[in-house]
This record gives sequence, C-alpha cells and structure tokens, in this order.
Amino acid sequence: MSIPDFSNQFDSVVDSSLEWLSDHGEFLFNGLNVLLTGTYKSVLWCIAYPPYYVIAIAIALIGWRVVGVRFAILSGLALLFCNVIGLWPETVSTLALVLTATVLALVVAIPLGVLAGLAPSVDRVVDPVLDLIQTLPPYIYLLPAIALLGYGPATALLATFIVAVPPAIRLTSLGIRMTPREFIELGDASGVTGWQMFFKIRLPFAKPSIMAGVNQSLMMAFGMVVIAGIVGSGGLGESIYGAVRTLDIAKSINAAIAIVILTMILDRLAQHAARSRMGESQ
Amino acid sequence: MTTTDIQFSPGEFLAPGVDWLNANLHGLFKGITQVIEAVLGAVEGVLLAPHPYLFIGIVVVGAFFFANRRVAVFAGLMLAFCLFSGLWVASMQTIALVSVAVLISVAIAFPLGVLAARVKRVDEAFLPILNIMQTVPPWVYLIPAVILFSLGRVPAIIATIVYGIPPMLRLTTLAFKQLPKEFLELGQASGASPKDILFKIELPTAAPTLLVGLNQCILMSLAMVVLAGLVGAGGLGAEVTRGLSRMEMGLGLRAGLAIVAVALLLDRLSRGALQRHSPSSHL
Repeated sequence: MSIPDFSNQFDSVVDSSLEWLSDHGEFLFNGLNVLLTGTYKSVLWCIAYPPYYVIAIAIALIGWRVVGVRFAILSGLALLFCNVIGLWPETVSTLALVLTATVLALVVAIPLGVLAGLAPSVDRVVDPVLDLIQTLPPYIYLLPAIALLGYGPATALLATFIVAVPPAIRLTSLGIRMTPREFIELGDASGVTGWQMFFKIRLPFAKPSIMAGVNQSLMMAFGMVVIAGIVGSGGLGESIYGAVRTLDIAKSINAAIAIVILTMILDRLAQHAARSRMGESQ
Repeated sequence: MTTTDIQFSPGEFLAPGVDWLNANLHGLFKGITQVIEAVLGAVEGVLLAPHPYLFIGIVVVGAFFFANRRVAVFAGLMLAFCLFSGLWVASMQTIALVSVAVLISVAIAFPLGVLAARVKRVDEAFLPILNIMQTVPPWVYLIPAVILFSLGRVPAIIATIVYGIPPMLRLTTLAFKQLPKEFLELGQASGASPKDILFKIELPTAAPTLLVGLNQCILMSLAMVVLAGLVGAGGLGAEVTRGLSRMEMGLGLRAGLAIVAVALLLDRLSRGALQRHSPSSHL
C-alpha cells in the first residue's frame, strides 16, 4: 500500500516548506511577532497598571451607560469577585488578548466587508474563503500560528484574529448591501458625491448589521482566546488548561467561574451597544 | 489595604464536594462510563469492521440513495482523503464520537424541545439557561466533565452532549411553534389521535427545521470532539494535539485537513437529507 508513503511525503513537504518559510521570512515573522506582542503588551499595560478596583469601577460605569444600573452593579461585583478568587492578573490578560485581537480583526474586516458589499466581484472571492475559515474547527488555526511564531501571546493573537475576522466581514458586507434602493436612488437624484453616498446613506443603514458583526467577532475571539491557552498565551485559558491536565479541581472551578463572568459581561455589553446603536439609526 | 486581603476560593470549597461525589457515587459514574465505553466501542467496531474501500463504497451508495449524486461523489472524496492521509482509524473514532454524542443530544433535546413548544412556562424557564449555555466558551464544558469522569473519551462525550443540546432544543421548539394551526385543526377535526397528529402531521411538517437543528448539532459536536482531544478523547483531535505538542506540523496539518474532510462530509450528508425534505420536494 502506498498510504504511509503518501503521508510521509506530505509530512516532509510540509516540514520543509515551513522551514523554508521560517528561514526566508524570518524578519517578517519576527516583525509580526514583535508587532503583535507589542500591541498586546501595551493594551495589557493600560488595564493591568491601575489597581483592580479602578478597572472594575470603570467597567461598571461603562455598563451603567450602556446597559443599566443593575447590570453595572452586578458586573462591578463580579469583577471584584474575580480578584477575590485570586485570578485578577489572568482575567486582565485574557481581557487584553480579546480586546487586542478583536480590534485588529475589525481594522481589517470592516474595510474589507465594505469593499465586498460594494463590489460583487470582491464578494465572490471573499465568500468561499470565509466559508472555509468558518467550517474548520477554530482549534486548527493554532497550528500555522505556532509553526511560524512559536509559543506565546503572538500565536494566540494571530489565531484569534483569523477566527474573529469572518463574522465582521460577513455582517458588514450584508449591511452595506441591504441599503434600501429608494434611498440610493434618492441620493443619486439629489446629486450626492460618492463619499456622501457612502457616509451619509449607506453607512448609517449598515450600522446595526456592522455592530452585530462586532458583537459576534468579540464572542468568537473570546472563545478562541480561551482555547489559545494551550499555546502559552497566558490568561485564564492557560490556567484552565494547566488545571485540567493536572486535575486540579479547585483551580479549574475558579478559572471556569472567572471565564463565565467575563463572557457574560462582554456579551451583554456588546449586545446592548449594538442594540442602542440600532435605536439611534431608527 | 484590607480589600486585597480578602481571599476566597469557591473551588477549594467545592472540591471536597466533588471528592465526596466521586467517593460515594463512584458506582454511578463507573456505570455511566462503562455504558458509554461499550456503546462507543460498538459503534467504532461497526465503522472499522469493513475494509476502508468497502466502507467508502457503502457510504457513497447510501448517500446516492438518501441524498443525490453530487453528495455521494463528495462524500467518497472526503472519505478517500481521510484514508490516504493515513488517519483512517482516527477519523472513524472521531465520527463514532460525534455520532454517539449527537444521538444522545437529540434524544435529550427533542422531547424537551417539544415540551417547551407546548408549555409556555417551560419555554420561559429554558430561555435564560440556553442563552448562558450558548455564550460560554466550549472549553468550560470540559471542566465539570473532566472533574467527574477524569480524562479520556467519556468526559469528552459528555461535554459534547451538553454542548450539542442547545441548538437542537432551540430549533425543535421553533419547529413545533411554527406549525400552521390549520393542519392541527384539520387533524383534530378528522378525529386523529394525539399520537397520529404528532407522527403524521407535526413531525413531517416540522422536519426541515428539525434537520437544520440536527446539522447545527452535528457541526458543534464535531468542534467539541476535536477540542476534547486535549483531554485524551482520542481521534483526530488527539492527532492535532500531538502535532502541536511535538511540533510535528505535517501530522498536525494532516489531522487538521482530515477534520475538515469529516466536517464537510457530515455537513453535506445532513444537508443532503435536508434538501430531500425541503418543502419544494415535499408539498
């Protein structure tokens, strides 16, 4: 049988091409590594430098503005609880990873989504790629990232970035395409320029959909960051991974509680932010 | 600072309880473990018993009859990829895990979904629970399962079952709520028994939405099973983990592509079934 031959050959081709890539693209990947780690470190510094209660109060205040008083009090208390169970540093670094990855993903995804929404030819290219990215289990993206960037937060960021991009592109292009025809015709008839058409007519209509995309990206990123704990990203994912592997029950329960708290807070915040924007545009 | 001194670990608090559970209900967990291992072993045995070529042939012919020619060719190609990437056994293990988990998920979610569609209060009680379950990252599901069942396939399958329930339950409830009232009234007027109404009117009408739920359930279960490779569930997830931890990128990539092949295979097969049941062919 030629089956083992085939898989051995495949393995050696992959290994040698990865070697070639990391030899010849060394400065590129080093640069990427430095860039990603640097961004992460600076975001982390911003939220890890102030004492824990300042961050908890800040998030509670944001929650108060966006959601309501009850949510604000609950989220503030829940974050203080993260400190009480002794997982504040991990919580903060998870938060920093999620925020960094989501922001990077949005910076790429929203312009691309707008482009795909405006030009059907771009959409035809982007759509199958997104289909493929979304069919693969997210776990897979750690492989190329770890091969090129090694262990550490940069790998986690890259993999999270890949997972967080598709929903934002999809929903942005959907939003842009959904602009009601009459309004476009109205714009044409009143002789607006291309830029005015985009910023004054298309973008406001697309806003709810874009915000929904932001929310989904954020939640996808969160799920991935937790998984990325296995490649040494730090944060709650790593403490869970360690605890599960050593069957440290107490620690894994604590970390799970902290993850659930953080998930609920981020999800509610993002959902309400999306909804309030929707109210504005109507 | 006094506040920083307050330290409380709910885990430390709960750990003795878990130990107690493990010590006193050992028989129960062991029983569950044995049942699941037996079922899994049987399914795996069936999948691995025929020669791979024969198995691919059976799937292709089955897909041809149950779905259409395109799905059949596609399924054949995907399975052939699993075979030629040298991961046939791991692929079959993964498929066995997914199918057992999906079967149990559906067996739990379907009755609950029907109940939620009938009784409004049950629906209202489920909604917040389902919301939380679908927000929490999949990793978290593995923790209680690992705590109670240790490492291996059994915690993986239990976490997968729990993870697969929400989409199926939601779409079952939706399917039964969406039923046109006239059909039910027609059944009642023609004096059909409740059992007849359920099996002859409600189920066929709800089938498309139910199959969407099944498709979702399968894909989510697959993602979870792969992730569970980290806790020793075996299958393709374990191969990816091995590739990651040994830095054997070729193996990792092969296993990753095989996962894609299995995902596409299961997706197309369940969608093929869906298309057969779509309203256009039915009404």
